[in-house]
Amino acid sequence: MPLSTDLFDRLRAIVGAEHVRHTTGDLTPYARDATPLFDRLPDAVVFPADTAEVAAVLRLATEHRVPVVPRGAGSNLCAATVALNGGIVLVTTRMNRIREISPTELLAVVEPGVTTAALADAATAHGLLFPPDPGSRTVSTVGGNVATCAGGLRGLKYGVTRNYVLGLEAVLPTGEVIRTGGRLWKDVAGYDLTRLLTGSEGTLAVITEITMALLPAPADTGTGIAYFPDLAHAGRAVADILSAGIVPATLEFLDRSCVNAVEDFADLGLRRDAGALLLFGDDGTSDAVRRDLNRMAELCDAAGATEWTLAEDVAGAEALLTARRCSLPALSRLGSLTILEDATVPRPRIAEMVDRIDAIADRHTVTIATFGHAGDGNLHPTCVVADPNDTESIERAHAAFDDIFRTAIELGGTITGEHGVGAAKLPHLRAQLGDDQMQLLSRIKSAFDPARILNPGKLGS
Amino acid sequence: MTGVFDPEELSRCISCGFCLPACPTYAATGDEASSPRGRINLMRALETGRLDADDPTLLEQSSACLGCRACEPVCPAGVPYGSLLEQWRDHQWRGRHRPPLARLLTIVASLPPVVRAMGWGRFVLPAGRGIDKATRPATPGTPKQPAQPTPPAGTGASLMLGCFERAMFPNVSRAARTLLPGLKVPDDQGCCGALHAHNGESTKGRALARRLGERLPGRIVTTSGGCAAHLADVIGRDRVAELSEVVDVSALPERRVAGRRVRVTLQDSCHLRNGLGVWREPREILSAVADFVETPGANECCGAAGTHSLLRPIESRRILDRKLDAIEAGGADVVVAVNPGCLRQLRTGLRRRKSRVRAVHLAEFLTKPDGGARTR
Ligand SMILES: Cc1cc2nc3c(=O)[nH]c(=O)nc-3n(C[C@H](O)[C@H](O)[C@H](O)COP(=O)(O)OP(=O)(O)OC[C@H]3O[C@@H](n4cnc5c(N)ncnc54)[C@H](O)[C@@H]3O)c2cc1C
Ligand code: SF4
Ligand code: SF4
Repeated sequence: MPLSTDLFDRLRAIVGAEHVRHTTGDLTPYARDATPLFDRLPDAVVFPADTAEVAAVLRLATEHRVPVVPRGAGSNLCAATVALNGGIVLVTTRMNRIREISPTELLAVVEPGVTTAALADAATAHGLLFPPDPGSRTVSTVGGNVATCAGGLRGLKYGVTRNYVLGLEAVLPTGEVIRTGGRLWKDVAGYDLTRLLTGSEGTLAVITEITMALLPAPADTGTGIAYFPDLAHAGRAVADILSAGIVPATLEFLDRSCVNAVEDFADLGLRRDAGALLLFGDDGTSDAVRRDLNRMAELCDAAGATEWTLAEDVAGAEALLTARRCSLPALSRLGSLTILEDATVPRPRIAEMVDRIDAIADRHTVTIATFGHAGDGNLHPTCVVADPNDTESIERAHAAFDDIFRTAIELGGTITGEHGVGAAKLPHLRAQLGDDQMQLLSRIKSAFDPARILNPGKLGS
Repeated sequence: MTGVFDPEELSRCISCGFCLPACPTYAATGDEASSPRGRINLMRALETGRLDADDPTLLEQSSACLGCRACEPVCPAGVPYGSLLEQWRDHQWRGRHRPPLARLLTIVASLPPVVRAMGWGRFVLPAGRGIDKATRPATPGTPKQPAQPTPPAGTGASLMLGCFERAMFPNVSRAARTLLPGLKVPDDQGCCGALHAHNGESTKGRALARRLGERLPGRIVTTSGGCAAHLADVIGRDRVAELSEVVDVSALPERRVAGRRVRVTLQDSCHLRNGLGVWREPREILSAVADFVETPGANECCGAAGTHSLLRPIESRRILDRKLDAIEAGGADVVVAVNPGCLRQLRTGLRRRKSRVRAVHLAEFLTKPDGGARTR
């Protein structure tokens, strides 16, 4: 539904004429996010500067029943920011100040458009650590991280975004500004709306300020890699490491296609002939880090690693992690359409899940490369399609993913560990949650958003 | 499908957004449309016909892009953005959509050397702001060739005299001859075509590069990062070297001023760094002969960006001012440039603010005992 000229005038009056976009050209870059195959032009893009402007835009939208899609950096992988029904895309990039870093209270207060890396760097500058570490950290915004409950490479030891959100300021679609939680770890006054908004994918409220817990920075970090004949062997090493009582900060694996794609980009001298690579890392006191790294290397060795090495220095470790973060885009060197999912299973079932993914890929004759956060059971099977216009291959890929989702649920896992449901996985959600819970989600959505204008076609719809 | 772009190159981007933090125009606006990913989505809209070539956003973004290619080395998918930009401008800037100044500049660059040497360049351009030939082209083709170890520019190699450089900075060419006396320096060289390739005439730009490759024997050494990247792309990396890849520093004395080593910093040439992967080499040279200090953001575009500083002076100056603040804060006597476009941009900006810092080309820095530093 195109917006009327009056409505545009009122939007301009709220955020300033230069912060409203409406031509097809200006809207085009906002038609999609990092998810392939979803593309829809919004009718307007607005860039509010503060909470009051967000509230005024939302009030106007509710009044006129215009959909509003909140957007940070648009790096999500589940089409969560695609304006399925048109309407207004509300971008938070202007709200990008770090308001406070408090070393005494171990917390930060930030606006939603601050990038994850900017918050992490600011914490580091104060001798603190912001643990959530999504692969997209240099791009993604903290608001987007909270709204998707982003995970990342340090999930095993440190948990995910929700473990660090202490409090939120958020604007309801009807324009009221609420504050949930605060600066305290202990606070049980009322329902835990902080947790509810965390992972709500922009369907309940627009987050305008985040109070985030930080930790003291560890004294030292270390990283190593081990090569295995195949993912199953690597999976066994992961199980051995965890059952030996080690909880490392990082435990990531890549199969051979991923190793080769990453090596093509980063040129780190990784072994291209290995069937799988396990990246392991820990932080803490120097002694503890050395000890744990050596033990993990020994356990890999015992589990059938063909070779292992420890990174010499911080720069070496950082290079390995950076390369791992690039796995997904690097994979697109194999084919220009990459469909990635993040089925997650309980840790003891990783090896089984890996085997089943292989069988599914064979059955549907598709190419699936797998990498992921092994320690969390969080796999990223990625289907690579050579020709983006080959609808037949794309259908086969979708059929394969249907099977993968079903298998994940069957093994006691989830259709999405960290990337979210968005528009891409909404059709699969009912299979996991059941009818009763789906209806409850919808009623919760209506309580926050009676006109149902906020990010329609996603969670709660 | 309109066939503007190489479909394989255009489809390689998966919209992951990893290039966003590297892009100076996105940093300035926070608007997806002025990011590499956004521009690629605009190109796709042009390709599919969703947008017409005279769409205002297409016109605006095709010229607002600095062409600095900072988005290339950070792209894990290996998207050849520079090449896509050339194809975009070729199409977008046809006929009346071509910024008139861009047209004038490429005409000047195509004039026979004699005419240029008569000062045409200076005459055509606003006084004191002559454009330097090399500037930064957006070279097509393979994204990033890692710098290979280069044999010394011995027999058979030739020195390329950038056409605008010869007119605007004759001292640079002279210094380069002094530094590399073994090189042949044929007279009628012509233009390498980088400026054309960058300004919507890539076919001509490539033809000029090929012609130059035929005229100059052996390996071609240039003092301009922009020319180097463009030439390498057309005639092959193995035939091209930039000055810092071939200079032998062991023979050079320290640069000194007022009884101490000159304190020097470097401004990268975007195309040299992002296109050819050459950035360690000039740093190693400067560290060997002077007191080198890294300026934060030295790898980011100075705003000269080929014709950008002339086509979009306000934005260009905003970018430059931030950079000059950082350079002055580092306490350097001299900022070294490895591309004449950057040299002009930095020099103009430093003069304007009456700075004590001097902007000097690498070749001059290595031939002047005081590196061109202010002596008092
Ligand atoms: C290469 C690559 C690697 C990745 N690696 C990881 C990883 O390791 N772990 C992981 O968890 N994710 C990962 N992601 C996915 C993605 O980066 C995360 O989901 C991230 O949190 C999204 O942040 P964003 O700022 O880009 O949000 P967007 O994509 O802009 O938005 C995501 C969702 O949040 C909502 N939203 C955004 N801002 C607000 C706000 N202020 N208020 C309310 N709702 C809002 C949007 O409506 C949308 O539903 C990766 C993505 C890529 C491309
Ligand atoms: S150009 Fe490269 S880094 Fe940028 S969005 Fe496309 S694939 Fe990602
Ligand atoms: S060439 Fe430079 S300005 Fe243009 S999109 Fe790439 S990084 Fe941005």
